[in-house]
Amino acid sequence: MDRRSDSQEHGRSKRRKTADMDSRTDPLLADMKEAPPESPESSDDEGGVKLEGYYDRPATPTQGKRVKQEKKNVIVIPETLQGHDRFGSSSKKRQREEEEHDSKPNPYLAHQDEKSTKEESDPKSNPYLAHMYEEEEVEEQGYNGYSNGYGKALNRTNGISKASTWARFPRHKTTAAMAKKAEDGPNNPFSGKPLSSQYFNILRTRRNLPVHQQRDEFLGLYQKSQFLVFVGETGSGKTTQIPQFILFDDKPHIQHKLVACTQPRRVAAMSVAQRVANEMDVNLGDEVGYSIRFEDVTSQKTILKYMTDGMLLREAMHDNNLQRYSTIILDEAHERTLATDTLMGLLKEVAQRRPDLKIVIMSATLDAQRFQSYFNDAPLLAVPGRTHPVQIFYTPEPERDYVEASIRTVLQIHAGEPEGDILLFLTGEEEIEDACRKINLEADELVREADAGPLKVYPLYGTLPPQQQQRIFDPAPAPRKPGGAPGRKCIVSTNIAETSLTIDGIVYVVDPGFSKQKVYNPRIRVESLIVSPISKASAQQRAGRAGRTRPGKCFRLYTEAAFKKELNETTYPEFLRSNISSTVLDLKKVGIDDLVHFDLMDPPPPETLIRALEELNYLACLDDDGNLTHLGKLASEFPLDPTLAVMLISSPEFYCSNEILSLTALLSVPQIFVRPASARKRADEMKALFAHPDGDHLTMLNVYHAFKSAEAQANPKQWCHDHFLSLRALQSADSVRQQLRQIMEREELELVSAPFEHKDYYTNIRRALVAGFFMQVAKKEGSSKTYVTVKDNQNVLLHPSTVLQQESEWLLYNEFVLTTKNYLRTVTSVKAEWLLDIAPTYYDITTFGKGEVKNSLQRTINKIRRKEATKGPGRPKTNAH
Amino acid sequence: MTRAATSPLPSALKSALDDNHEEDDYMSMTIAEPTKPIEKETYTARRIRKQREVEARSRPKSKAELAAAAERERDIALSTALPSTSKGFQMMAKLGFKPGSALGATTNPHARTELLGVVVKEDRGGVGMENEKKRKFREEAAAVAGLEKKQKAEEGDYRERVAREREEKRIEGLCWGATRVLEGLEAPGEGANVPVRKVNVLWRGLVKEREENEKERRARYDLLQSLSKNASYADEDEQDRQALGREEEVVDEEDEELDAFKALEGKEKLRRLVEYLREKHFYCFWCKCKYEDESMEGCPGVDEDDHD
Repeated sequence: MDRRSDSQEHGRSKRRKTADMDSRTDPLLADMKEAPPESPESSDDEGGVKLEGYYDRPATPTQGKRVKQEKKNVIVIPETLQGHDRFGSSSKKRQREEEEHDSKPNPYLAHQDEKSTKEESDPKSNPYLAHMYEEEEVEEQGYNGYSNGYGKALNRTNGISKASTWARFPRHKTTAAMAKKAEDGPNNPFSGKPLSSQYFNILRTRRNLPVHQQRDEFLGLYQKSQFLVFVGETGSGKTTQIPQFILFDDKPHIQHKLVACTQPRRVAAMSVAQRVANEMDVNLGDEVGYSIRFEDVTSQKTILKYMTDGMLLREAMHDNNLQRYSTIILDEAHERTLATDTLMGLLKEVAQRRPDLKIVIMSATLDAQRFQSYFNDAPLLAVPGRTHPVQIFYTPEPERDYVEASIRTVLQIHAGEPEGDILLFLTGEEEIEDACRKINLEADELVREADAGPLKVYPLYGTLPPQQQQRIFDPAPAPRKPGGAPGRKCIVSTNIAETSLTIDGIVYVVDPGFSKQKVYNPRIRVESLIVSPISKASAQQRAGRAGRTRPGKCFRLYTEAAFKKELNETTYPEFLRSNISSTVLDLKKVGIDDLVHFDLMDPPPPETLIRALEELNYLACLDDDGNLTHLGKLASEFPLDPTLAVMLISSPEFYCSNEILSLTALLSVPQIFVRPASARKRADEMKALFAHPDGDHLTMLNVYHAFKSAEAQANPKQWCHDHFLSLRALQSADSVRQQLRQIMEREELELVSAPFEHKDYYTNIRRALVAGFFMQVAKKEGSSKTYVTVKDNQNVLLHPSTVLQQESEWLLYNEFVLTTKNYLRTVTSVKAEWLLDIAPTYYDITTFGKGEVKNSLQRTINKIRRKEATKGPGRPKTNAH
Repeated sequence: MTRAATSPLPSALKSALDDNHEEDDYMSMTIAEPTKPIEKETYTARRIRKQREVEARSRPKSKAELAAAAERERDIALSTALPSTSKGFQMMAKLGFKPGSALGATTNPHARTELLGVVVKEDRGGVGMENEKKRKFREEAAAVAGLEKKQKAEEGDYRERVAREREEKRIEGLCWGATRVLEGLEAPGEGANVPVRKVNVLWRGLVKEREENEKERRARYDLLQSLSKNASYADEDEQDRQALGREEEVVDEEDEELDAFKALEGKEKLRRLVEYLREKHFYCFWCKCKYEDESMEGCPGVDEDDHD
């Protein structure tokens, strides 16, 4: 501790001396200053709202009881009365506000006003204290929104008394007709405000959706069963409509509860929440909100929350029974993500403890029997999607080169098929950009020579900037001259266009049958994305994309025999293809102790669990009996991989928690370096400006520091563009850093830095990296360029993108990329001494097999011993670890 | 080891004895070949060897070598299961996990025990291309293998075939001999006086063959003569020939009886001939003699084997 304060002093005094370094370090040091060791309450204040998910209080027994009592009351007394009576005084205040709103012509603005004043003045808006007020708030809101049936309601001019609206809705006994009447307005049944004309426009289209026809059927099954499996193809409207159907029947606002709808993807959670907020004529974040990692757009008013499945899992850590929810909808369950599968296992257990909790599993594919049998033979409701027939074509022979074949097929369609847009599925960014370029070239020729219409080609992949992603929705180009050949657009996409994104106008789908899929093998501990054949289910999904607007055609670039024989029925669930150490930590935190018998739909192969437990044990998150340690508990507070979490938690010991915090954020976002094919050389030159000879981690840190400098912040967009950096990635790193910092502050982890000029500034950071990444280390093999991974003995090369100049004997890596060659990406050089010092258990020399790694470690141990010996007797030897 | 079998000695002592016995077994003692005295490596030789070794080590491996080595290592690692000494395994064992069993609910039929394979795609071949290649390769391999097999099969047949052919030839010879004997018995001295059609089918072939030979000989002679006095012979017509008593055999004429007989297998032909000789002429083809009466006293039997 002494040393730290010393060095900080040191830093302050010397900081101004090196001017050119200043610009880089400044933001960081400023950062350091601006985060004084205040009391946790005050520091949480600013960001608490966004991070609500992490702050979930464990439901106290008394709370649970109270809720139950109220639930019983529901049947006897109109719920509306309770709130009014019990919280009359605070309701009055709210009532005044509402009256003000009524007088204002623009309800949207009024609402904002209310929000801001409320947040400034009302201690209840402090999410940290929210648990103290939760019930009040909800009641109030209930009053505010729907329950002003007594007294004050007389002042209202609108026709329908909302109290009577909801009083006429016996919970879990409602029908579609009742809901329809309430939906017809004139006032919003949830917010009480007059409904806009846009609402009624949307309502008309909503009522044309396939799910709407089966609303009564759905309600019937929902009411009588705890679990329900709902199958609706894409386009049936299930994601937007089913949660709303449930709101009318489950009445979470009266129950002081929420309806949750989980999504595997963040983008989907955000966009669907926005859509549903529009449909319900409310502001996003009020009655309808969303919660994703590092972003929570919900409020005390929220009754319907779209969230990533991972977020619900995090909530379950603090609220093992998920008490705040009355219904949980798991959407896109067919995707079988790690979090979805974990949640399903968890909900199966929670459901036994909470018979009042309703669970709806929604899937887009018809293999729903598995869900049914898994959830104790739950009833099934299937709604057909609104799709047109799609003609499927196969190639007579397998293709020699699927990319070439795809390009050829696209051009053939363009030259010979009637109007309609094309969707081509390829596997990754590079391949997609390459294909786009080739199609563009060939299409120009086609236009010149064959008088074809204009063809616009758009790439689509996850890391594409949003504004460029938006371009795929541009209408197809017009014919070059009136009456000429029609123009069309061609979208070349990864499998994100398979389920998550819907593009209207697609009539032709070209499916080469591949996608990048995650694989994990615990034996060599490699988790990598590799190009693999898709499943039959995926192929059907892709074909279905051609029939959204009218009958379409799907060109499969493989033979029918190959489709039947070579493709799996469904894609393997993520549980079988992932490193599960993070999930294991989550499950431990949720209170699942017997991981061996935890009832997952597709339990992973035992070796995957063996490795996960072993890794967590080496990280000291689990003790030898498999119990969560203090460090493990702390690590589970962070929405991070255990490796990163442990590194971050131990970083104060190395006097660089500020830097490691930045690095953790940078490692949690997509690639920050941009390397467009057109300007590779220039991009590499720019990257060299930030390069640190000791490796990529430090280079990334340099970038971040430079990004935070005043010079860059003056015009970040231009600056990023000039330096070939991704503004989006850096900005999201910034926000991730902010969120993580709050967790660190909450957990009372110190944020410290060594002065930049200190000779150990970078060494400290490298040592801190070892504290997390000691299991991802490789050693140089002789004099060649290859490295060998420690313990797994895999021959690897450094990824060409690395900045590491000097050939380091030992290095740690962030990623092991499996391609035809094995690559290590994002590496930093380290020293054997550090490995032995920081991770003595893992580097216990006796556990190593014969080989160069062991020899080298032994030499290092001997060296340390000699050093210790010369320093004088009596000092502890390093090998005592 | 009879001593050990009958000996009532306790087993420990017994084995000790056996050991002793083995030690004392001079007869089976092998005397090591006198090894060549290790030639002392000269300084130069050692220096060269060392240098070569260093060169081999320092020589940058080619990309192909590296890739092959990496792949080999990967395959080894991928096929090696995690050891049960792993702490993770021990934690699971405490929860009742047994090696070889799956995780999850015991009733779950979908629980996997084995890891999914890792297949790295190395080219841009379409779905099914890999298998198509493999299938083609297999087919080619099968074709090559098939050819070899056929050759082998033929090789194996060869001896059999040769033996069979030799046997057939022998029987053919015997048949001819029997036919000659029969001809001698039935038509001693007779030549072409009897029309071929009337001759016993058993030896008709012989007559016919002879006639054909004669015809051929004549034809050849004619051909030779024709060069000089072709015309005179050509003038000779059917009637002249009849007049000359040189009735021409119409060789091409169908002789179903003979054809049927000829079509028989050699053995059958021989059997018939031998039987006929015995019945009609009391002649045993195997004894090579004619007997007095049909009892054929002294002949050991009908078959060749009886006469060994």
